[in-house]
Amino acid sequence: MPSVATLAFDYVPALPEIVLLVSACAVLMIDLFVPEPRRHVSYWLTLLSVAATASAILYVFHNTPVRTFGNMFVADAFGDVLNFLTCLTVILMLVYSRGYLAARGLFRGETFVLAMFALLGMMVMISANHFLTLYLGLELMSLSLYALVALHRESGTAVEAAMKYFVLGALASGLLLYGMSMIYGATGTLEINRVTTIIFGGHANRTILIFGLVFVVSAIAFKLGAVPYHMWVPDVYQGAPTAITLFIGTAPEFAAFAFMTRMLVGSLAAVAFDWQGMLIVLSLLSMIVGNVIAISQSNVKRMLAYSAIANMGFMLMGFLAANVNGYSAAMFYVVTYVMSSLAGFGLVLLLSRAGFEAENLDDFKGLNQRSPWYAFLMLLAMFSLAGVPPTVGFYAKFAVIEAAVDVGLVWLAVVAVLASLIGAFYYVRIVKLMYFDDPVDKAPLAARSDMQVLLSLNGLSLLFFGIFPQQLMGMCVVALTRSY
Amino acid sequence: MTAQTVIFYAFAAILVFAALRVITSRNPVHSALWLVLSFFSSAGVWMLLHAEFLAIALVLVYVGAVMVLFLFVVMMLDVNFDKMREGFRGYIPVGATVGLLILVEMALVLIGGYLPAGATPSPGQTGPGYSNTSALGRQIYTDYAFPFEIAAVILLVAIIAAIALTHRTRRETKYQNPNEQVKVSRADRLRIIDMPLEKKE
Amino acid sequence: MSMQQLYLLIALSPLAGAIVVGLWGAKLGRAASHWICILGVAVSFVGSGFVLRDVLAGNAFNGDIYVWMTSGNVKFAIGFLIDPLTALMMVVVTFVSLMVHIYTVGYMADDPGYTRFFSYISLFTFSMLMLVMANNFLQLFFGWEAVGLVSYLLIGFWFTRPTAIYANLKAFLANRVGDFGFVLGIGLIVAFFGSLDYATVFGAAPKLATTVLDVGAGAPWPLLTAICIALFVGAMGKSAQVPLHVWLPDSMEGPTPISALIHAATMVTAGIFMVARMSPLFELSDTALSFVTVIGATTALFMALLGVVQNDIKRVIAYSTLSQLGYMTVALGVSAYPAAIFHLMTHAFFKALLFLGAGSVIIALHHEQDLRKMGGLRRYMPVTYATMWVGALALAGIPPFAGFFSKDAIIEAVQLSSVGGHGYAQFAVTAVVFLTALYTFRMLFLAFHGEERFGHSETAHIDDDSAKQLHEEPGHEEHAHGAAPRESPWVITVPLVLLAIPSLYSGWAYIDTVLFGNYFGGSIAIAAQHGGLATMREEWHGAVPFIEHGLLGLPFWLAAAGIATAWLLYIKRPDLPAKIQARTGALYALLINNYYIDRFNDWLLAGGFRRIGALFSDVGDRSIIDGFFVNGSARLVGATSALLRKVQSGYVYHYAFTMIIGVFALLTWWVGR
Repeated sequence: MPSVATLAFDYVPALPEIVLLVSACAVLMIDLFVPEPRRHVSYWLTLLSVAATASAILYVFHNTPVRTFGNMFVADAFGDVLNFLTCLTVILMLVYSRGYLAARGLFRGETFVLAMFALLGMMVMISANHFLTLYLGLELMSLSLYALVALHRESGTAVEAAMKYFVLGALASGLLLYGMSMIYGATGTLEINRVTTIIFGGHANRTILIFGLVFVVSAIAFKLGAVPYHMWVPDVYQGAPTAITLFIGTAPEFAAFAFMTRMLVGSLAAVAFDWQGMLIVLSLLSMIVGNVIAISQSNVKRMLAYSAIANMGFMLMGFLAANVNGYSAAMFYVVTYVMSSLAGFGLVLLLSRAGFEAENLDDFKGLNQRSPWYAFLMLLAMFSLAGVPPTVGFYAKFAVIEAAVDVGLVWLAVVAVLASLIGAFYYVRIVKLMYFDDPVDKAPLAARSDMQVLLSLNGLSLLFFGIFPQQLMGMCVVALTRSY
Repeated sequence: MTAQTVIFYAFAAILVFAALRVITSRNPVHSALWLVLSFFSSAGVWMLLHAEFLAIALVLVYVGAVMVLFLFVVMMLDVNFDKMREGFRGYIPVGATVGLLILVEMALVLIGGYLPAGATPSPGQTGPGYSNTSALGRQIYTDYAFPFEIAAVILLVAIIAAIALTHRTRRETKYQNPNEQVKVSRADRLRIIDMPLEKKE
Repeated sequence: MSMQQLYLLIALSPLAGAIVVGLWGAKLGRAASHWICILGVAVSFVGSGFVLRDVLAGNAFNGDIYVWMTSGNVKFAIGFLIDPLTALMMVVVTFVSLMVHIYTVGYMADDPGYTRFFSYISLFTFSMLMLVMANNFLQLFFGWEAVGLVSYLLIGFWFTRPTAIYANLKAFLANRVGDFGFVLGIGLIVAFFGSLDYATVFGAAPKLATTVLDVGAGAPWPLLTAICIALFVGAMGKSAQVPLHVWLPDSMEGPTPISALIHAATMVTAGIFMVARMSPLFELSDTALSFVTVIGATTALFMALLGVVQNDIKRVIAYSTLSQLGYMTVALGVSAYPAAIFHLMTHAFFKALLFLGAGSVIIALHHEQDLRKMGGLRRYMPVTYATMWVGALALAGIPPFAGFFSKDAIIEAVQLSSVGGHGYAQFAVTAVVFLTALYTFRMLFLAFHGEERFGHSETAHIDDDSAKQLHEEPGHEEHAHGAAPRESPWVITVPLVLLAIPSLYSGWAYIDTVLFGNYFGGSIAIAAQHGGLATMREEWHGAVPFIEHGLLGLPFWLAAAGIATAWLLYIKRPDLPAKIQARTGALYALLINNYYIDRFNDWLLAGGFRRIGALFSDVGDRSIIDGFFVNGSARLVGATSALLRKVQSGYVYHYAFTMIIGVFALLTWWVGR
């Protein structure tokens, strides 16, 4: 008989996940008994649950990594920071999308519960120390997202988008599992930190390892939406209800970044030279393809999808430097990208009303005359995505470019600068439409006061962190150095 | 060559052939049946590896439940697979080339440099009282409790999603609610309005 | 409050005023707007006074307030370097700015852009403070560009006037040329010193004194000479030195308070300040110093000549500003940095005074700026008249007014100098004394003495139509054109009086400290071989002997002669100028046309360059750049888009196949190796 295993794990590090799971199940049950006109009860309960999860993260914050559940779960500063930011993002997403969801009959318990389970999936991924938990977290997140996209059944495009997302996601999962099995074959373990030890110990078959690595990198690239695994991004962004697009385009980026960091830094750092080369290709293609195609888009959501592809290319450029500077630059990039993206999509949501999707660039015409403050916030978001100082996007781009230059990839940095110049065109075009064109619809935008406050804070934070980036950057560096 | 090896190769050959037929057969019912056969043969392979529980679970769950459901669906929905295959031929050359190339690469890697013999020790003999099922159960409920819970949550999400996506309160359906009908009052139904007299012009 | 917080408060309170009034000025109303801005600047002024006192007590500060980011060894930071040089500039800037703020209440009273104007001048004060307080090149550059930006905004303040738009464009272009040099200089510094920090760069400068820059063609340039000249080109743009001076006279299109604040007292002296700040670099390159001297002397002489023939009261003062900036530049060139800064300070007071006085006259005459249509105003505007006299005497350099001390110090420093071109400079600065007195008193006599020529002709207003439209407010229409002008309200006269006071006494009161008392200490470096000022210090016995010595010197008598000539020509024999003008037709035409520099620029830039440009545009741009790169890349982008759009077909199996191709490519590349 093998040694009698026990269930006496240390549960405290997983407190946030436990809180979230329990409250998600509770909301699921309570929602059944909430009559339709009082649906906001479920909504507020959801917000409360996510907020409680976020507080739990702060409560258990780990300065040194703690592993539990038989080394399958790790709680470290890196994970805690990302988990916390993911929770914040979900809260913002819920607040921003309330009006939009309500106008489309999507203000339902299922939406909230699925969002919470997606969040749980992300948190499991972020805290994974085992290929199995990484994979299961990924599936939990993806499955919830597929369902969220399809939830708007009246919309044919949403169902089509969900279908594409699902099929391609399944293919990516297949690639990931195959890659993981190869790495398991080469090292004989699925535990992330033991994989490193074994590879560094020289006990792994290198060819098999690289073979597995190709598949793993492909799966990561799919989740990030890097070229050539990006094809789902524009279709899903455009097809999904905008509120769900906002969700897909923001919080999962943290999870995908954590996924990449756990896999490539946590377990495969020994073959950094190889994945560095692969990421160069992905980064280069993403920056060029994303920015070039974005120019010709007339649909805002599609444009932001290509912008997401291009931005992930930039992020990869920092990451592939394969040193602490590069990782923290990439982490900073993800954080600021999500912030900018939240603000941008938040405004797209605000422009949409019942029966009207603000999807075309023309819908932004003359926004300054309609609502100057929102036009200004959108300007901040666009400038931040384009990397115009003094918004935070500039510093983020600067940091990743610097990381690439530091490891001698000057040519890549030059391409990045050119690509961001191309990119500036389509972001600034929106600014031009908002400020220099006459509006078609003169009505000012209306928003609930909680959304007004959060959206304003969100937009202003782009400016604030642009002028004072050091604290945020310091947080990224600390989170990484305390964990790796 | 021991008997075990012979049996292994027999099962493996049947498995590969059945799997091929699943995707090449024109009739979807045939495809499903070929799939049943491939499940059987893989169960056989697992049996050879002493994974009795998995082998039996495969037969019971997949062959017994999933595939039957599958057959129902295929037979009830008259999907025209031939139409779906239209244009498939156009992609065969490209697809086959890439597929073949990948296959060659994978083969080269796996043949050339897989683990040397003995790198992973064989599980070893187990005593007569050894229960594969209980060992697995012990593992799942202790060491692997965390992933097991997550898998459970995934199933829960699958249930929620399936219900949310298919269950719809049909607004277009008209039905009576006697409870409401009884409670109706005059004010709900009748509205008296004052209309000014109109003169004929 | 710690000193560091005080520095921040000084810099930020005008910014706060600018932001509040800029964003909510319309809602706040006029009175609240000007009070907010005046309060902000007043806080800065008082704070600057404390800083000056602190500096005089021997304290200094050099540190970063906030590090924005670090790239390699290069640090991008906001920091303050507070030393005697900075403190002096801070006091001058905030004092003049405060006066101008108060004055504006009266001057712009009827302007529809009232709150916008206040927001701009407060923003300017903030930018200028950031510029002078900088401890690194980046902040210097940002302040430099920010003051430029506000300057353009204000030159084009009356944006409905075509001349204002033209002047605006001209200022922008001339400054771009200068900025190009400035950026080049900073770029060289970053490249060779690897730092943007003043202290680091100055500390490393002696080590790089012998480094040469190989620019090819077998002509190696000493690195520091290249850096200094490049930086000085920037100063030439900002401080309007020949040949980049063309924008300053035209900038008089802006409202008069701006001419006083930006285009006379503070912004244009940024170049002078910058060179003084960079003295540790300039001291290491005699070539650069010669260059500075020659440019300064040329500006001083030739711009003074132009001042004599101008008929627009503001243009006279504008050319005078150019000429005085030339003086300061000469002082820099002969390593008499303290003299330059001293003149900068006194000049700021009396030139702001003259401009604001001129503005007072202009307002009284309903935006009449032509000297030929003034005269005899002394009876109507006694305060303006008296203060203008103070300003004029100070500018002409009559003891004991402020200008005398600073100007004589420069002339003496030039005499003692041995830098290349000092002979020419000596001639120029001495001759200009006569010219300065001549044009200053010409202006004064024409405006305030003689017969009353205003109100005689209504045609005068026709060419000023567009400006008038903006000012045709009910208040102005009460007294019809041609009615007797009256003294300006107290918000205008009080700043005049307050500026007249330092114009009077700041020379003899501070020359001892600033120039000879080792006030600047380590903030200005002067190499041992450039010891002109040190010699002067040895011979220094106090302000009174300096005046006695000055009364015997040539400059004083030249100034007196200038005043006498002006008196003769414009009071005693007012018929003479016309005759002289008729006799010297060609010379007069040359002068009145600004030596045809504008014409030359138009011909060269708008004509020649345009033709060259057209050639490049045809061959280079249209066929190579447009045809190949732009259209080509647009076509490439288009073709790529089309191709990729074909891939982005919407069919899920196409997408899946692309992913498989991706895997295949990565596999082939990495596993195949």
